[in-house]
Amino acid sequence: MIDSLYIAWRYLLFNPARSLTLVACITLVAFLPLSLQLLLDEAERSLRSRSVDTPLLAGAKGSALDLVMNSLYFDDQLPTTVSMGLVERLEQDGLAIPVPLYVRFKTRGFPIVGTTLDYFDFRGLTIGQGRLPALLGECILGSEVATQLGLKAGDHLVSTPENLFDLAGIYPLRMKVVGVLKPSHSEDDRAVFSDLKTTWVIQGLGHGHQDLARTDDPSVILDKSDSNVTANAKLLQYTEINSSNLNAFHFHGSPKAYPLSAVIAYPEDKRSETILRGRYVDSDKYQILVPSEVIDGLLENIFRIKQVLDTVVLIVGLATLLALVLVFTLSIRLRQREMETIFKLGCSRLTMVRLLAAEIAIVVLVSVALGGLLAGATTRFSDVLIRTLIA
Amino acid sequence: MLKIQSLAFSYDDGGFHLQIPEFIMKPGERVAVIGPSGSGKTTLLNLISGITIPERGTIVIDEEEVNRLEDQARRRFRLRNIGFVFQDFELLDYLSVLDNILHPYRIGGVLKLDRSVRERASRLASRLGVADKLQRYPGRLSQGERQRVAICRALLPKRKLVLADEATGNLDPENKIRILDLLFESAGEQDAALLAVTHDHELLTRFDRVVDFRLFRGENSG
Amino acid sequence: MTLLNYRISIACALLCTQLFCQTARAEETTRSIVAVNYPLHFFARTIGGKEVKAEFPLPPEIDPAYWKPEPREVAIFQRADLVLLNGAGYAGWTAYAALPRRKLVDTSAGFRDRYLSVADQVTHSHGPAGDHSHNTTAFTTWLDLSLAAEQAAAVKQALTRTDPENGQSYARRSDKLEKQLLDLDQRMQSAGKVLSGGPVIFSHPVYQYLERAYAIAGTSLHWEPHKEPDAGQWALLQEIATTSGSRLMIWESDPLTRTRDRLHALGIQVVVFDPMANQPKEGDFLSGMERNVRSLEEAAESLQSQGLVNTRE
Repeated sequence: MIDSLYIAWRYLLFNPARSLTLVACITLVAFLPLSLQLLLDEAERSLRSRSVDTPLLAGAKGSALDLVMNSLYFDDQLPTTVSMGLVERLEQDGLAIPVPLYVRFKTRGFPIVGTTLDYFDFRGLTIGQGRLPALLGECILGSEVATQLGLKAGDHLVSTPENLFDLAGIYPLRMKVVGVLKPSHSEDDRAVFSDLKTTWVIQGLGHGHQDLARTDDPSVILDKSDSNVTANAKLLQYTEINSSNLNAFHFHGSPKAYPLSAVIAYPEDKRSETILRGRYVDSDKYQILVPSEVIDGLLENIFRIKQVLDTVVLIVGLATLLALVLVFTLSIRLRQREMETIFKLGCSRLTMVRLLAAEIAIVVLVSVALGGLLAGATTRFSDVLIRTLIA
Repeated sequence: MLKIQSLAFSYDDGGFHLQIPEFIMKPGERVAVIGPSGSGKTTLLNLISGITIPERGTIVIDEEEVNRLEDQARRRFRLRNIGFVFQDFELLDYLSVLDNILHPYRIGGVLKLDRSVRERASRLASRLGVADKLQRYPGRLSQGERQRVAICRALLPKRKLVLADEATGNLDPENKIRILDLLFESAGEQDAALLAVTHDHELLTRFDRVVDFRLFRGENSG
Repeated sequence: MTLLNYRISIACALLCTQLFCQTARAEETTRSIVAVNYPLHFFARTIGGKEVKAEFPLPPEIDPAYWKPEPREVAIFQRADLVLLNGAGYAGWTAYAALPRRKLVDTSAGFRDRYLSVADQVTHSHGPAGDHSHNTTAFTTWLDLSLAAEQAAAVKQALTRTDPENGQSYARRSDKLEKQLLDLDQRMQSAGKVLSGGPVIFSHPVYQYLERAYAIAGTSLHWEPHKEPDAGQWALLQEIATTSGSRLMIWESDPLTRTRDRLHALGIQVVVFDPMANQPKEGDFLSGMERNVRSLEEAAESLQSQGLVNTRE
């Protein structure tokens, strides 16, 4: 058998174009369904595990999928915002622990996730380097963000303005990186986290300025009455929060009205979950949904597409098989003379079949190995691919 | 060495009839077979090597009655005992010279390829002047070199009988003599008998004996 | 003999292991509680007892209301199992620090409707948000000792909610503390009745809740105990004293002797009423408050004996 494989191997090497074509065909036919399956498995695993880890999600009435994708996978699509009042309401309900999220802004292509420290506890995220954000203007990085941007604790990161000419005068915020999270193999690796209040500062809701009542620069003041001072645009808007101006930062209006993209709710138990969901069923402002149900719906659609793809792959596979049969049949004809020779030397007619079988075995083996490797490589990049698919 | 007695063979269509009352070759003997085309020279070689089976008569090689062997045994016998040198050399273009020489060891599963065989192959190749071309492919060899490689392949398993079918037919005159001498020499070293079918009458003097095939060719009696 | 020794050592080893395990377990389960000011820390320590690890990471000598913690100090609050906030806008740093929301306990949430607003702040406006001003609520809530008792009750509730097993212990200690606080409140009410006749002067505007709870009306200045007031400040004081007839000035801590003497010369008695926002050098919140109340009682008595305030009916 080894001898047959050797001879077959020499034959394949001597006809590289033919061999490569064969390998390429079979590799593709093997790789396509395999990688598709692996990819979907991975997508399913990653989508499911995260949705299962998120028992309830509260947000504004509207697209459930948008809400889930934004809150769990930090998708760009910002759902209709709700106010911090929802968190207070959930706290008063006392049935679940609310963890607010504000996923709206970006920095160098990565989402800035504004939340509270509870998020890290519930997601099981721990600090790998540095510390948790402690003060306004501080942020921590998911492991992949740190690697890709080459940043570590002590560096700075500037938020990306939502549009180039921000008429509302919202300046990008230069945030201080104070820590890097350990890898969690989830979306959290690809996000920048800050305290909720920091994201409000980015939005311009909270800001710092010189103490107007005490300023000595008359050009800053437009109008000054006994009880009110109006400032003009020259007023210095901080784009960075540091220890010297930290105390000057403040928020306007009631924090209760401040925006959130969603609230993750961790119910005390199954009963609390049921009661809580019941309370919001008829709400015309809010919805509370179970992310895993939404994701299951999404996956069902994906699987339906997969079934179609499977059929296509099957047909392509059959066509390839026929082509291969043709190639080998022609090959037997081409090697008629070789057959005669080895027959004369003392071989049975079956020897040729054995040589061909060895050849097919090698081609198939190499193709499957290659297909497997490619599929493996695909899964390594599956995160990227899945995100591209979902986005 | 080779003993043929009362051999009769004809093709099914009946247009061809071969009869050999007796034909004997001694070990190391060099016999040329001549005769016009279609006189059955190649058929004789096929009969001797057991590729075709006679209707009657016996073929004994080295005390083995070839025509009585089972199909598989006959092939094994052939691989082990009979070397072939073909007019078109019949080298495999996808194997290197060395692999071509070793080919009988790799197919058929009768001959065992070991280090001593490889050493002998390399000695034989240098004896035939192709030692420096062992890694080349046949396509890059001259006609003469190819036939030398074919001779190496035929002789490597230390056979008692070498059958040459127009072995020099495709060579230029100068090469013809050189290759034939090499064939003689190499076969002689192994004490192998050589039965060569040829058209080249100018080479006949070099053989121990010449058999004219017309002697054996009988008309179909119907 | 040797066998006995052997047995003893085995027994010892077992005992040690058990003790060690228990200690380790206790350490694991002891919940840390950290507060933004000393009164809350004291409440947590008193009610929590051995069952909790009450921490107070603020440096001494600072006013916790205006503390600016370093990140490593914020981290202590982040790690805690419960963070006690005073509410009412107290400790501005909590507004810009990242704290675990579900561990926060706003101890004054129960009386938000009774917050006192501070009227004399300047508003400012810029951008579409319009007029706004900062820190419009008075926050020294615990100087109304009945509110302090409510804050203590909030601490007890938070402890019980997160650790129901020890609920009875918490309730027992809380009841005792409440009684002590309300006793002091009662004495303050009495002293207040005496003092309500004549307005007092406060060295700093931190006594709003005390003013309201005990009907001690007065005017607040911005005098620092360790700094000698300038001429303008003296002039203002004299003007207030003349128009309102104040005979009592309440200080956060002992003023300079020269200041005290000069006040005496002006016929104004000095009373120290320490808000106890930070950890005292000696004693605790209760003993400190008791001293505050006693000083006020003595002052009331003295003023009463001089006939300068309400006489008992």
